[in-house]
Amino acid sequence: MVSTPSHSKHMDSQFLTPDFFESFSAKRSWEPGWLADFRKDSWDKFLSLPIKKNKDERWRFSPRARLGFSNFDQLAESPKPSILNGQKIEGILFDTLDQTILNAPSSLLDLPNMQGPNLGADDTFLLGCCFSELGVFLKTEKGIIEKKPLKHCHFAPKNNQSLFQTNIISLEPFSELTIIEIFESEVMDTGGTLSNLSHIKLAEGAKLNRILIQKVNQLSTFNHLESIQLGRNSEFTNISLQLGGAQSRSESKGVIAGEGASFNNFSLSLGNGEQLFDQRTVQHHISPHGKSNLLYKNALLDESKSIFSGLIKVDPIAQNTDAYQTNRNLLLSANAEADSLPGLEILANEVKCSHGATTSKIDNQELFYLLSRGIHRNVAEKLIVLGFFDEIIREAGTQETIELLRDEISHHFN
Amino acid sequence: MIKPSNIEIDREKGNFHYPTSKYAFDAGIGLSEDVVKYISDVKKEDDWILDFRLKAHSIFDKKPMPTHWATKDLENIDFDVIRYYLAQGQKPSRTWEEVPDDIKNTFERLGIPEQERKFLAGVEAQFDSEAAYSHMKEDLEKQGVIFVGPTEGLRDHPEIFKKWFGKVIPSSDNKFSALNSAVFSGGSFIYVPPGVKLAQPLQAYFRINAENFGQFERTLIIADEGAEITYMEGCTAPKFETSTLHSAVVELVALKGAKIQYITVQNWSNNVYNLVTKRAMADEEAEVRWIDCNIGSRLTMKYPGVVLKGRKARGEVLSIALANDGQHQDTGAKMVHAANETSSNVIAKSVSIGEGRSSYRGLVQIPGHLRHCRNNTECDALLINSESQTDTYPAITIKGDDNSVQHEASVSKVSEEQIFYMQQRGLNEAEAMSLYVNGFVNDLIREFPMEYSVELKRLIDLEMEGSVG
Repeated sequence: MVSTPSHSKHMDSQFLTPDFFESFSAKRSWEPGWLADFRKDSWDKFLSLPIKKNKDERWRFSPRARLGFSNFDQLAESPKPSILNGQKIEGILFDTLDQTILNAPSSLLDLPNMQGPNLGADDTFLLGCCFSELGVFLKTEKGIIEKKPLKHCHFAPKNNQSLFQTNIISLEPFSELTIIEIFESEVMDTGGTLSNLSHIKLAEGAKLNRILIQKVNQLSTFNHLESIQLGRNSEFTNISLQLGGAQSRSESKGVIAGEGASFNNFSLSLGNGEQLFDQRTVQHHISPHGKSNLLYKNALLDESKSIFSGLIKVDPIAQNTDAYQTNRNLLLSANAEADSLPGLEILANEVKCSHGATTSKIDNQELFYLLSRGIHRNVAEKLIVLGFFDEIIREAGTQETIELLRDEISHHFN
Repeated sequence: MIKPSNIEIDREKGNFHYPTSKYAFDAGIGLSEDVVKYISDVKKEDDWILDFRLKAHSIFDKKPMPTHWATKDLENIDFDVIRYYLAQGQKPSRTWEEVPDDIKNTFERLGIPEQERKFLAGVEAQFDSEAAYSHMKEDLEKQGVIFVGPTEGLRDHPEIFKKWFGKVIPSSDNKFSALNSAVFSGGSFIYVPPGVKLAQPLQAYFRINAENFGQFERTLIIADEGAEITYMEGCTAPKFETSTLHSAVVELVALKGAKIQYITVQNWSNNVYNLVTKRAMADEEAEVRWIDCNIGSRLTMKYPGVVLKGRKARGEVLSIALANDGQHQDTGAKMVHAANETSSNVIAKSVSIGEGRSSYRGLVQIPGHLRHCRNNTECDALLINSESQTDTYPAITIKGDDNSVQHEASVSKVSEEQIFYMQQRGLNEAEAMSLYVNGFVNDLIREFPMEYSVELKRLIDLEMEGSVG
């Protein structure tokens, strides 16, 4: 076997060796040929990745050593994600990925053509394509409108294991759906890495609301790469709450591919200890009359650190685009750090685009007001953070989901 | 990617050209250790300066081009076909009469009024790599202000300049600062003694005159405690057929309570690579202000910076960029906070016309141990045509719970309603557009001294010609 420098340094991890891949594919020889080819192809691409360059703008400010795979020696085959409801709803296909491969592999035929966000974590993406056995597959039929949120949970593995998953969510024209995605840990006392690839596709006039809550334990690493395709007049609202993980890298790319599509991407992160949140986003407008609005808020305690790198890209054809990008950071301790790289690349002239980034501390007057009423400092900080997050939480739709988000945040303070 | 411009522009405008054969010193083309030694030898420099140059040359050889983030157009620079040193072998002139006629002609073509030309005392007009005209007003001398070229500065006043030379911007800062450190010639070295407040701005005109001849001026301005100085540089360049490289290093040192204002109007011709490193160090309660206007050049990469080293230091960058067909204005600002209670402000406005591209690149750093630091950044971009492009790439690193930053950027196009309104009142479309653009940058242009703001408005009018329709 040829050994290239890019993976030789990972040799401690048994799943990054050519031998392991051989045995992995042997075990899955029952899979359709195109899927086996796709896994092999991804593996070959992984092997031929260029050696990490010291200076890669896509990794600026990021402590890369914390986000590699070399600390994880085994590939996890479990735990499976659980689907809490929705499996039996008329007009909605909703199952785990392994079941879908087994029962309806033809519905996955498009998988090899699905692009990743391509914002830096090439290795994570290719390994995800190569080793994903688990994940969920969700597809609505045309015109299906489901009011009740569909919920699925994913679990980070234990004992330095590495788990790769792929989620495919596809909405046919004029269907509407709310989904709640939870990421948590299987056990609390050890942690591995959970790498999750999400492909979300909205056809014409489809509407998707998604709430994502990430609360894996603080020994785990969380990688989340998602790419979202928005068709004509479709609407996607994403609210993600990032609480867990020793370190996490999230890449999110929204492509406004159809005319008049609308993309709201909101994220809240609450860091303590030495948590790291590495966030990379792109809003890519390739069609006219599109709207996108991104708001990432980070509240950082202790020695936690956030990196926000965002880009609005407007192609020459995407006239009459409205695109906004905002990053707000609240530093609650002297050792917290927020890096912000808000970017714009505008090639059309009939546009309204803006971005803003602010980093600040707690308003002393607000704090004084609360303290003077006998509220403990910890509680006061919690209240201020909840207030800081509120404009996003309020977007979460029903009272139930709003309360869910508030509870998760409060819980993190105790 | 910038296409070589094949647009019809009046290239004769500002076409000052002289035969290069009369240059007394010519280091030939290409860069080697011998060229560096030769330049140093011609200038009769001390050994330490030669060592400095040679060290910089080896750094230049080792440093990669910054193409992992910058435009690929940089790869089109061929360092082997550039002349790195060229001078007429003349000493800086003392009086107006001693200035050679051809240089006076250049002033003529530049349209400097007769009155002002006589008043050019205190102006360092750079002709190629040597200061051709250097005359200080007597009262400047009386106040103890030193205003010389780098060769004289390092030779005659090493006790003042050696301490800071290459300290604000080390040779190893980037590939082009290393290049400049190796082959620099020309520029201004200024020292303002404690408490001296210069009422009038000092000015320098730079121009490039020989084909493929990069200009590598070096400027070091030191304002001692409580001193105040305003320095202006304006650029015009003659027409050339192949690309030219301009790579300057400008270092400013503002000691306790000093104020430095550095004003640039850059209007190189459309084939010049303008790759400039500018940085200031601001001590306690000092104030440094960069006012930067980029209209010309093929590619400009310039990010004036301020290192806020002393308590209550203040840094400011006001930047205007105009990118027309075939141009890329890649400008920005860097603010490095290194002391408590420091504040910085960046306001950048860019206009992209035709196929022009303007980029803002910023850096703000506030480490965690500091208290009460503040930064404000605003960038506004205006797009005139549908082929125009604008980018914004700020980088902000903030630590600590007692500092605050805010960054805002917006992109907009010319409002059709307003153009319509002006046309209704009898302006034609081009005039209306020009008025609109002037209005967009007006609040920054007001910060320039009067004659510069008039000149700038004329330049904007000129750039807007033929940009509509």
